[in-house]
Amino acid sequence: MTDNTNHHDAASGADEPRERVIGTPSAADGAATATGDPHRRHEGPYPAEETHTRSEETQRKGERIAALWFLIAFLAGVGFFVSYFSFPPNADGDPSVADPGIAQLANVLLGGTLTLSLFAIGAGMTVWARQVLPHYEVSSPYDELPSSKEEKGSFSEFFMRGANESGFTKRPLMRRTLLLAMAPLGLAPIVLLRDTGPLPKDTLKSTTWEDGLHMVVEGTDRRITAADLDEVGSMVTALPESHDPEHGLSMNEQAKTVILLIKMDPQDFGPDMTQQQLDWTHDGIVAYSKICTHVGCPAALYERTTHRILCPCHQSTFDAANGAEVVFGPAHRPLPQLPVRVDDEGYLVAAGDFSAPVGPTFWDAGVED
Amino acid sequence: MSDNQAPPAPKALRGVGNFIDDRFHLAKTGEKNLRKVFPNHWSFMLGEIALYSFIILLLTGVFLTLWFNPSMAHTVYDGSYERLRGVGMSEAYASTLHITFDVRGGLLIRQIHHWAALIFVASLVIHMLRVFFTGAFRKPREINWLIGVAIFTLAIVEGLFGYSLPDDLPSGMGVRIFQGVLLSIPLIGTYLSFFMFGGEFPGEMIIPRLYMLHILLIPGILLALIAAHFMILWHQKHTQYPGKGRTEKKVVGTPMFPAFAIKAGGFFFFTFAVITGLAGFVQINPIHLFGPFTPTSITSGLQPDWYMGFLEGSLRMFPNWFDFDIGGYAIITGVLVPGLGFMGLLFGGLAAWPFVEAWITGDRRVHNVADRPRNAPVRTAFGVAGITFYGVCWLAGSNDILSHVFQINLYATTWFFRIFLILGPILAFIIAKRICLGLQRRDRETLEHGYESGTITQLPGGEFVEVHKKSSGETVHVLESAKGKDYTPEPTVDANGVESPASRKPMGRLRSRLAHWYTKDNVSFDGVEPHTGHHLHHGTHAEKEKVGQH
Amino acid sequence: MKWITARRRHPLAGYAVVIIALALLGVGYAFVAPTADQARADTLAADAEATEVDIANGKQIFTQSCMSCHGEDGTGRTQEETGNASAWGPDLTGVGAAAVDFQVSTGRMPSMNPNAQMPRRTPVYSDQEIADLAAYVDAEFGGGPGIPEQAPGDAPERADYASEAEYEEALETYEAAYESYIAGGDTEAGMKLYMTNCAHCHSWSGAGGALTDGRWAPALTDATPRDIYEAMLTGPGAMPVFNDDVLTEGNKQSLIKFVEELDAEPNAGGPFALDRVGQVAEGFIGWTVGISLIVACAIWITAKQRAHD
Repeated sequence: MTDNTNHHDAASGADEPRERVIGTPSAADGAATATGDPHRRHEGPYPAEETHTRSEETQRKGERIAALWFLIAFLAGVGFFVSYFSFPPNADGDPSVADPGIAQLANVLLGGTLTLSLFAIGAGMTVWARQVLPHYEVSSPYDELPSSKEEKGSFSEFFMRGANESGFTKRPLMRRTLLLAMAPLGLAPIVLLRDTGPLPKDTLKSTTWEDGLHMVVEGTDRRITAADLDEVGSMVTALPESHDPEHGLSMNEQAKTVILLIKMDPQDFGPDMTQQQLDWTHDGIVAYSKICTHVGCPAALYERTTHRILCPCHQSTFDAANGAEVVFGPAHRPLPQLPVRVDDEGYLVAAGDFSAPVGPTFWDAGVED
Repeated sequence: MSDNQAPPAPKALRGVGNFIDDRFHLAKTGEKNLRKVFPNHWSFMLGEIALYSFIILLLTGVFLTLWFNPSMAHTVYDGSYERLRGVGMSEAYASTLHITFDVRGGLLIRQIHHWAALIFVASLVIHMLRVFFTGAFRKPREINWLIGVAIFTLAIVEGLFGYSLPDDLPSGMGVRIFQGVLLSIPLIGTYLSFFMFGGEFPGEMIIPRLYMLHILLIPGILLALIAAHFMILWHQKHTQYPGKGRTEKKVVGTPMFPAFAIKAGGFFFFTFAVITGLAGFVQINPIHLFGPFTPTSITSGLQPDWYMGFLEGSLRMFPNWFDFDIGGYAIITGVLVPGLGFMGLLFGGLAAWPFVEAWITGDRRVHNVADRPRNAPVRTAFGVAGITFYGVCWLAGSNDILSHVFQINLYATTWFFRIFLILGPILAFIIAKRICLGLQRRDRETLEHGYESGTITQLPGGEFVEVHKKSSGETVHVLESAKGKDYTPEPTVDANGVESPASRKPMGRLRSRLAHWYTKDNVSFDGVEPHTGHHLHHGTHAEKEKVGQH
Repeated sequence: MKWITARRRHPLAGYAVVIIALALLGVGYAFVAPTADQARADTLAADAEATEVDIANGKQIFTQSCMSCHGEDGTGRTQEETGNASAWGPDLTGVGAAAVDFQVSTGRMPSMNPNAQMPRRTPVYSDQEIADLAAYVDAEFGGGPGIPEQAPGDAPERADYASEAEYEEALETYEAAYESYIAGGDTEAGMKLYMTNCAHCHSWSGAGGALTDGRWAPALTDATPRDIYEAMLTGPGAMPVFNDDVLTEGNKQSLIKFVEELDAEPNAGGPFALDRVGQVAEGFIGWTVGISLIVACAIWITAKQRAHD
């Protein structure tokens, strides 16, 4: 049995009969030991020699304990209803579960009473099984595996006769045409799934950013000037200005266009920035896609001291001072850069779309069409 | 049994019984099934935890569907929860808030559902480990093992989809990562993603679709698989641990009716009670605090539920060094290997194991008596190595939390896990195997010489020795189960010294080498007879010698 | 010990050991886990109405505590200049009063070891002294952002008041100011701004999180509105700057409202909120408490029984 069985059995080994574990019948004690009383009638469903009836005293004690548990379960169950009706639903003024503090109290009361009730039933049943019921371990044979030769032979013969009679094996034309008929039907469910979505085409490769589109602070939708972002070390999450101020940007647009606007000292840009990438900045203001090129979490932990942009999901790290190159972690390619310029009024605007497809890298992300 | 008559059945019961039997002829089958024997051991109840938590999941899940609205349509919250009033969110999130703060007991049921999900998958894991380490997956139970692997896989997917439904911040990010992994698949990735999401991320289709999968398709399949699992168990009867009277032909245990039924019923209430207790006192997945999902926001310490942790960790650990391009087309191993490869390795490995082991050992006998893990050291060591591999992935999934709590360099944790992912399983394999062999030696010692009684006796020579006593018959049975493990089914060399053709082929050679490696270190129990050693009696030869020396 | 020796071979002994070990683990965890809000009271130092500042006193404090690292002229000193690996400080030119107030009132400065990130501590100086110091730095080394007086800082402390009545009054004033400041914001804008600009480091719950190289984003649970405001204005450590042009005063107020309200909200889901760590802690509890309790029940149900009990 378990590993500690041998400890136990070892301990009881000295005087076996007294401490013997039930369910290991020995020749020495038959029905007499089993029932405790040789003169008592055996009424159980299983053979007397495997049954160890508990003394009436034990049974009575067990019954009382079990009954106590069931009573507790009943009271706790009543408590559950009391708790339920003590908290009226979304009533204003009354102790309403809409208030988090009261919700916690309600949750504890409902959960606590229910727990107690369930546990008490379980405990009562366990006491019932362990103290009131007799203990027995009976044995029963496992199925013989495999079937006997005769059985198998008989089955095989029957089956092959039937198969022959059906003609499935003997008449290939019928069989093959049936299989042929099945093929299109089998494909139908797959074909029917075609309209679950449009084809990707090139939608993943472009966003709605275009030259002259204003950048706004996400959450306030306010335009930003280069002068607003004048302090080195500034950072803010920005979106393109919506053409439809009523509804704002759709989730899909937000998911692709969101950028990190970072202001750094122009001196800090590293050697890996190409001239083009430097042209895409404005006075140390650089914009990168906020969507990680690994699997698409917003990569947003910008450390102004190290210029690192860290993605909190899988810790891909990009160097903001070097074109958002990957410096650690699993991402495949740099964060796409968005060209930044200022318009006549000094507002920050895009100077075109991202330098590369935004978001998780897909297999043709790097292919120009 | 005897001349005693059982009390007659009450009239009502007899009526119902007759009604059924008149239609199904069930008296004999019914009695046979009520007499079904279940061996007693706590580790045989682990699968029941899974069964019961699944039932709890079904019950609470139905309750939640009464209010949940799986829609991504935008709405402005105007429910009872004051802090978020006036905030824009999806219908799915708003209806989850409604369940939490406007439906009495809704929060409790939601928390029970979530805790039950955690417990469900956890109990699947420990049940599976029990079956693995005791070799209970061996013939004739391989098919049930495969069904178990399928249940485990589906349970994880089911959990992930359920986690994604409320459309709160972490749940939406889980969907995002799922979509990112889909996109990385070469050639068809973008198509899969577009079909799944009805276009680009996030779209408006994904939650309704995940909802359908979560409440209908996957639970339906799970239910069917669980039913099949249980019917097979019922038909084949449960395995048992070695012991007196417990043989490959005969199962010993508590019969279904009445004792086991009462015990199993009680255990259902215990499982329900613990899950409810957690739900009543320990907050889980407080979506109202997380806030609604937006694709532009993220939180530090973002984590999936524990059963997805190993995947999260493998995504964190696996570097981008092996990514390559073919003519500009990217093969993103940094996502593919951890995101799909590790999954395949885990579930594929689990599914293949019974067949691999049978192939290596050539053991195609029927096994009803479970192995003690120590008696199959290589399997046990493999299992421990697997646990270690899984555990490292799992821990790596929380490396930001570990880094923050213990103030360790974030990158250092990643490096530690990268190295330990390779070293850990190897070390674990070696250590676990050594421990098994050590236990085997101790078993043989105990079998031959009895056990150390804890009683210290002073010998006439003044030396103190511990008295060894005879082990009980039960223990002897358990220890003797180690015999006959090294099983060679067909001799590779026939009587004339000619190798059989099969074993001369490369696969045959590989097989025999593996078979040798699989069993070569086992401590031999051949010819060991119980209590034939010398420690049992005081002043035996060896001890006298010792005494003489000192 | 005899009692234990006698029972160590009991069939349940193994289980008992496991249960005791798990219980100890749980209790140990409870002790190790930091308790929320404990530090709030500690760190709320007196908020004397800083009407008058004494620049001379500020200079004295600077000379005593700051000069050795930041230099007499406030331009900072390197390790070579101080000749001490753990004594150096950055240039204070143009940092402004808000930066001084943030660093000193949260106890991060004066720092004993500038090579390590400073955690929040009980401040060394009183509010008046900090105000003096901030005024001195601001006047002497050029101004940066000033102290955002509109955002409530630390709550008054009893020790700083002569009588209970005065303290009560100050506390009432403070609480009224706090309430009205928090009430002024807009939750939706605040949530949006916090989630897009702060949560990726400080976490959804404000519990903080890991950064690179062993740095971390500190918890916001003990931070006063003014602390949060000043941190946004000045960008301490690796934190980016969010000046008043990018996030206006009103924006910041909304953001602070969101943080403070979220932090103050009781945990509806139960008294054990696992420090709002979330899924990792939930998984841990599910395995340690959940599974082991259920297994304990299974052990009770299936435990072996002796013949005649």
